Amino acid sequence: MENDLRGNILRIEKSSIFDGSGLRTVVFFKGCPLRCRWCSTPESQSFAPQRGHDTALCAGCGLCASQCPAKMGPDDHRAADCQFCGNCVTFCPQHANIIYGREMQVSELLEIIAKDDVFYFHSDGGLTLSGGEPLCQPEFAAALLKGARELGVHTAIESSFYAPYPAVEQLLPHLDHVFCDIKHMDAAAHLSHTGVDNQLILENITAAAASPFPFTMTARLPLIPGLNDSAQNLTATARFCATLARPVQLELLPYHRLGLNTYRKLGLPDPLPGVGPPSAAEMADYRKIAANAAPGLVVR
Amino acid sequence: MTATARIERLKERLLAVRPEMDLENARLLTEGFQEAEGLPLIQRKAWAFRKQCAEKTIFIQDDELIVGCSGSKVRGGILCADTCWGVLDAELDTISTRRYDPFYLRPEDRKLFENVIRPYWKGRSGYEQWQRRIPEDTRLLRDNGVVYIDRKAVRGFGETTAGYADIIRKGVRGLMAEIEERRARIDLTVPGDLEKDDFLAAELMVCEGMILLAQRYAALAFEMAEQEKDPRRRAELEEIARVCERVPEHPAASFREALQSLYFYQTCIFMEQNAASYNPGRMDQYLFPYYDADLKAGRLTEEEAQELLDCLWIKFSEPCLFQDAVTAEFAAGYPMFQNVCVGGVDENGSDAVNELSYLILQATMDVQLYQPSLSVRYSMAANPNRFLRKIAELIRLGTGFPAFHNDDIGIRMLLNKGVPLKEAFDWNPCGCVETNLAGRMRQYTALADINLGSMIELALNNGICRKSGVRIAPEVGEATTFQDYPAFEEAVKQQIRYAVAAVVKGSHLIDDICLERVSPALSLTFPACIEKALDYSQGGAKYNCGNGIILIGVADLINSMAAVRKLVYEQKRISMAELVQALATDFAGCEHIRQLCLKAPKYGNDDETVDEIAGRMFTFLADEIESYSSKFGKMTPGILPVSGNTPFGLEVGALPSGRHAWKPLADGVSPSGGTDLEGPSAVLKSVAHIPHGRFVQGTLLNMKIEPALLADENGLRQLMALLKSMCSLGVYHVQFNVIDQAKLLRAQKDPDRYRGLLVRVAGYTAYFTELGRDVQDEIISRTTQHGISVG
Ligand code: SF4
Ligand code: SF4
Repeated sequence: MENDLRGNILRIEKSSIFDGSGLRTVVFFKGCPLRCRWCSTPESQSFAPQRGHDTALCAGCGLCASQCPAKMGPDDHRAADCQFCGNCVTFCPQHANIIYGREMQVSELLEIIAKDDVFYFHSDGGLTLSGGEPLCQPEFAAALLKGARELGVHTAIESSFYAPYPAVEQLLPHLDHVFCDIKHMDAAAHLSHTGVDNQLILENITAAAASPFPFTMTARLPLIPGLNDSAQNLTATARFCATLARPVQLELLPYHRLGLNTYRKLGLPDPLPGVGPPSAAEMADYRKIAANAAPGLVVR
Repeated sequence: MTATARIERLKERLLAVRPEMDLENARLLTEGFQEAEGLPLIQRKAWAFRKQCAEKTIFIQDDELIVGCSGSKVRGGILCADTCWGVLDAELDTISTRRYDPFYLRPEDRKLFENVIRPYWKGRSGYEQWQRRIPEDTRLLRDNGVVYIDRKAVRGFGETTAGYADIIRKGVRGLMAEIEERRARIDLTVPGDLEKDDFLAAELMVCEGMILLAQRYAALAFEMAEQEKDPRRRAELEEIARVCERVPEHPAASFREALQSLYFYQTCIFMEQNAASYNPGRMDQYLFPYYDADLKAGRLTEEEAQELLDCLWIKFSEPCLFQDAVTAEFAAGYPMFQNVCVGGVDENGSDAVNELSYLILQATMDVQLYQPSLSVRYSMAANPNRFLRKIAELIRLGTGFPAFHNDDIGIRMLLNKGVPLKEAFDWNPCGCVETNLAGRMRQYTALADINLGSMIELALNNGICRKSGVRIAPEVGEATTFQDYPAFEEAVKQQIRYAVAAVVKGSHLIDDICLERVSPALSLTFPACIEKALDYSQGGAKYNCGNGIILIGVADLINSMAAVRKLVYEQKRISMAELVQALATDFAGCEHIRQLCLKAPKYGNDDETVDEIAGRMFTFLADEIESYSSKFGKMTPGILPVSGNTPFGLEVGALPSGRHAWKPLADGVSPSGGTDLEGPSAVLKSVAHIPHGRFVQGTLLNMKIEPALLADENGLRQLMALLKSMCSLGVYHVQFNVIDQAKLLRAQKDPDRYRGLLVRVAGYTAYFTELGRDVQDEIISRTTQHGISVG
């Protein structure tokens, strides 16, 4: 493959049923410009590879250190010294160590993506780029999407849309479906909860919706109790979706704490202590509020 | 629809019964043989059968609509005295309390056994012949846990699909007319016709017995009706009496009569020879005309039909397989394996699904017992999505049923057994996942098992069994002298060749012994047996196949070979000497080697470097087994441990896959527990590398179904898509293990067996075993029978 681009990948997941239609292969990109307080995938934030260690699993046997060329102990997170050789992962009997992130080529990824073709066929599935933020590696992401399309694979992206518009524009022609996150409609709140302003995001979403490419679109709002679940924010989000130039569904996702252990593995504190997932009843209420705010908008 | 109160009561009563030995059948058989002294063997067997019909204890239980029992009590273990009285003899003191499948033995029954049964049969059973005549190499491999081959020496035929439709359609009288017609063509001056006449006369005795038995039930029902105070039950008993007066003697005239006729015959072939896997087969096909006619004539409602089927389902759960302690370990759970099948294609190759197919699926949903074994033949081209959806709904109930079969591959297996396509369309799953053809095919589908873990061990240990320290197989050279990977692979193949040959010799001996295992009641519904006037045991069926040779430890073999190739020969991370030493000590003091072995690529992850070995080795195995023939036909390979992977594992030391010594092997064609980390699509892709169509006795895949697929409508649709994908890939069979709360708790305790278990919600996935305890607990508390819900 000429010009076989390389990118930073966190992991690849197969047979996913929550990231677009059918059974999908999800390629998680590594690196993200946002720092959402509720992030469930903190290992995707940094662009550089990282080493995770689970002290709860570690039995202290010392096997990892004995095989480490950098002589790092199990609970050592110094990325600077680590050679990311993977020995500490291979030799640990407790599965206590993990390396987050590796460089992969487009051709390599396409080979993996093509493996599940039969499953895409029967389920209307395909490829979804997720992250991390795919828009931070636009050439690489575009090449991947284009290559997948050429193999007849349905393509989708999950993105914060926080990137210069030309990056967005590079991807749109190769997409069948777009998931865009709208984390808060209020600029100040957005800045304080995610570390970035929401103006660029909203502009990009508006522009993408108005673009000539025939992809379908879903806006996603992760609901974090106390942070962005006010009636006001729900109403504003729903109304924003309704004004876009093409039909957009609004999907409300309940906050969850499944990523908690990853914080521990990275040596980071619990980012939202005391905040729990909304109940099913609360989710139903949220959906009602959003639907009432924008008649005609499909809210899921 | 849910089960009626009647069904709930029947089920509750059945589950409260403790399995017991039931020796009445053996006593009657013994007395019958004594009475018929001087007659040819086939007639003595038939005589004894007729005597059983005439004298056995019969009973009708409260609430029953379908009646009959092969023994004198429900959940009784029947002893085939003529085949294997010696099994009980050896276990008299332990049978009541043994670990797997105990049967309570009453003191009076023990006396009966010691005073009547043993004295008569001593020295006369097939089991004794087998113990005496087993070839030396076969015996050595058997005694060292490399092959398991006693199964057929300790029980009757089974592993067959009788021609139930014949009994239902023609009635016993109709079959008698055919036998008489055949008999008219006998010429006793022609050599060989004497034996034929003996056989046909025996068949008539069997027919008389069956008619007699049904008449006794009719009389009993009538008697009970007269004494019954409850008018509703009285009417039911009168109806039972009326039905038993008609069938199986006459052709069934209604759906209910057809069910009763079928079940009478089922109990009769069990009476004749207790064995697992007498398969009712394609019930939705041969019963449909009766269902349809009754419905159209307004004689029957769908609800009534459902209740009758549910009643029959309860009956299927009554018998309990008696077998020796070792065989019970290989197939635990009193497994009768009465395989009922729905779906597939008709004689035109077109969609065969009908309304009865759905009712039969529903019966299993209603009753939720371990019998019958419910299978579906799913033809992706011919069967409708509505059918697939109903199947997916049943899978989600988590009963482990149905066993899902890819119809195209099943048909291909039959073709490979030498059956023409027209008839191959009519195949049915047998027992576990083997293949059959109703009323036409004879073989032992699972005669013997070969331990593939041992093949690796013997290849790396120069023919010496690790556990016993005895040389039991060819010297293939010290492992350290294998210069390259092909040399190692050749050593494995040499061990396989030797084991297969030893099993074939044993199989031929079993065939020889079983020429005397005459089965006139079973032969009755094999039209070719009547036409050739030759018993089933002697090759009377239309198609006779070589016996099935079953392979156990598929993933262990593949993973071990892949690890040796990668670590020793490609990466050279460890030397062969180091590996051999580590295996000898079960990795004691060399945990780092074990970790390298464990982290080497594994089967079940769609990794071509591993799966390529699977394709090559299993082509070799099929070639090797098929290179032999018995007097009946080409030997037939299959991959279907029932629970044999556990006892076989106890015989095998540490393996290069990283598996510790004496631990269970992997089951069927499934990946080793906890080594499939890429989800269901990768499992199916790997499994597809085995040439399924060539393993004509079936291939068995167990898959875990993750909570996400159970949660909602979308999950159901994706499950349907997975099943279709599996068919496209040419995988033959899959059975699902639903991950519910109990399994998650197990995963928490034993993470190594559940490494690949994924927890997914929108935008997030993780391996369950890698989540912290608190998060795991949270997920467990949110997981119900029907999937995980977050929010
Ligand atoms: S990845 Fe290699 S260098 Fe880094 S900590 Fe692990 S063993 Fe040491
Ligand atoms: S090898 Fe694993 S268990 Fe042992 S000290 Fe290292 S991290 Fe802990």
